[in-house]
Amino acid sequence: MTKVKITIDGHDLEVEQGTNLIEAARQLGKTIPHYCYHPGLPPDGNCRMCLVQVEKMPKPVIGCRTGATEGMVVHTQSDEVKKMRQSIMEFLLINHPLDCPTCDQAGECRLQDYYMDYDRIPSRYQEQKVHKDKMVDLGAGVMLDEERCIVCTRCVRVCQEVAKSEELFVQERGNHSMVATFPGKKMTNPYAGNTVDVCPVGALTSKDFRYKKRVWFLSAADSVCQGCSRGCNISVHHADNRVYRLKPRHNPEVNDYWMCDYGRIDYKFVNDGRRLKPHFKTDAGLQEDSYQNAFAHLQSVLQNYSADQITGIASAQESNEEINAFVDFIKSNFGSLPIYFSKNNPENPYEDDILIKADKNPNSAHIASKNLKPVSEISGGVKAVFVQRNLSAQDAQVLKDKGIQIVALFATNETNLDNLAEVILPIPTFAEQNGHFTNFEGKVQGFTKALKPRGESRLFAEHAEDIKALLSSIKKAS
Amino acid sequence: MSFAFTPENQKKFEALLTKYPTKMAALLPTLWLAQNQNGHLSLEVQEHVASLLDLSPVHVHGVVTFYTMYKQKPSGKFHLQFCKTLSCGLCGSEDLIRHMKEKYKLEHGKVSEDGKFSMELVECLASCGTAPAMAVNEKYVEQLTVEKIDELMKKLSVA
Repeated sequence: MTKVKITIDGHDLEVEQGTNLIEAARQLGKTIPHYCYHPGLPPDGNCRMCLVQVEKMPKPVIGCRTGATEGMVVHTQSDEVKKMRQSIMEFLLINHPLDCPTCDQAGECRLQDYYMDYDRIPSRYQEQKVHKDKMVDLGAGVMLDEERCIVCTRCVRVCQEVAKSEELFVQERGNHSMVATFPGKKMTNPYAGNTVDVCPVGALTSKDFRYKKRVWFLSAADSVCQGCSRGCNISVHHADNRVYRLKPRHNPEVNDYWMCDYGRIDYKFVNDGRRLKPHFKTDAGLQEDSYQNAFAHLQSVLQNYSADQITGIASAQESNEEINAFVDFIKSNFGSLPIYFSKNNPENPYEDDILIKADKNPNSAHIASKNLKPVSEISGGVKAVFVQRNLSAQDAQVLKDKGIQIVALFATNETNLDNLAEVILPIPTFAEQNGHFTNFEGKVQGFTKALKPRGESRLFAEHAEDIKALLSSIKKAS
Repeated sequence: MSFAFTPENQKKFEALLTKYPTKMAALLPTLWLAQNQNGHLSLEVQEHVASLLDLSPVHVHGVVTFYTMYKQKPSGKFHLQFCKTLSCGLCGSEDLIRHMKEKYKLEHGKVSEDGKFSMELVECLASCGTAPAMAVNEKYVEQLTVEKIDELMKKLSVA
């Protein structure tokens, strides 16, 4: 590509020929305001918010569809441009219901932002506003408020370009136009949540998140989705030590601007159904108790086995760091038997050639690099195992059939193994720790801690220290 | 009940396709052809047209709702289109429209109970010189008066 020299507001820069002016200005750290343009979607040019002046062009042009050419001189801050922005804002707000107090988008709304930046005049509109439906269920967990929609068609283009499934289109015309599905049909594509992300106003909201939390109370932590082996880059939005929603984070090499709807709701296990305290098996069933009592029970169980009868089953759900710590712990304290692994292994997993992988584990690649064996190959010498995170139903059955005891389960949540494990020790989820996942392409991606470890959960390394002490006291006693 | 083009219209449709660089470009005339055959563009017809042109049904629906002359509901046997634009307005079209409502219970978007008449208010019929004007189906009736309408309605109701 040839480079061209252009000038934006008096700053010279060199960009590739044809770069649109919004992206060119971005290279200078300048923002040209826009609604319908999205860097991940083909430009449409319907909102007119990005109008700028280019010298020697007779009329203002839209930044999103004007390519840079040699010697172009662009003005984005002239009085005339500011006046155009104000007019466009006034135009877009004519039929806007101004229901910000009850709107979920408030706080991350482009209408609010640009009104404060470029408009700031009271409405001159005296006539009756056009009223439309305020609660349309578009399907796939997306709700539409037609009155708030500015018909920028970002959502239409997300369905076309990202989900490859044209399920939305603009219907009617003029001030009656609105986004809709075919009558009687709903959106079903697994990328529909992205329509909510790209909606610059409060028209599309997520059924899962709406009315749960004002967005200005949320903090964000960079993370990686643990729903499948793609490892989409995400932001964990959290408050009150709970996760409220997951949003995709731009990474052109992995997920671009998008994530799937399965991943999007894959945070609920962080908030609910957790193992927050140590548990151990008693005659009366599973008992929640202190670490002290749980370790005492673990000691009594471990006494029944010699070190060469015990091994571990690592989990492809855990981070590189946790898997390494687990494998090292088993190797250095037991070590004579092979170490095994288990994977989340649902029947008929959904996959496509967009983002979603059939392997529903975030870290299969790291497990593969550790030379571990699948649980189905577990040998007769094994009498007892430490289990990391969870086992698939098939793997749990293998242990049952062979009469192998689970001495300790390091669990984040209540699982189907609860009645099989002697001791359950709580560990934090991906949202409560720093770590890395290795995705299916071998890309090692870091995620950061959003929440404090919930309840009494601790990283594996801390549990391992205590168990080591237990083992040495058993040794001394014998 | 599924919609399909008659053999004759199928030929017309295939001829249409040859006139355009893409299938999508043939959407408007194809809808027109379908409407002429079926009387209106039901959802089923829209889905059929979409499949003929490799478009999504929701795209076709968007186009159908954009243009007022694509009918989504059946019209009456006689579709009365009253001009409501300036010249006809100045020459008394509002009185005629009121008369239609009072005497015949017909107004914009309504179909009579027997399905014989439907009425619609339209923009300029380009018949300003002979205002006020209306079109009955595709035929113009010009220089309308209340008496002329009554006479016409009488004639049509027995036709």
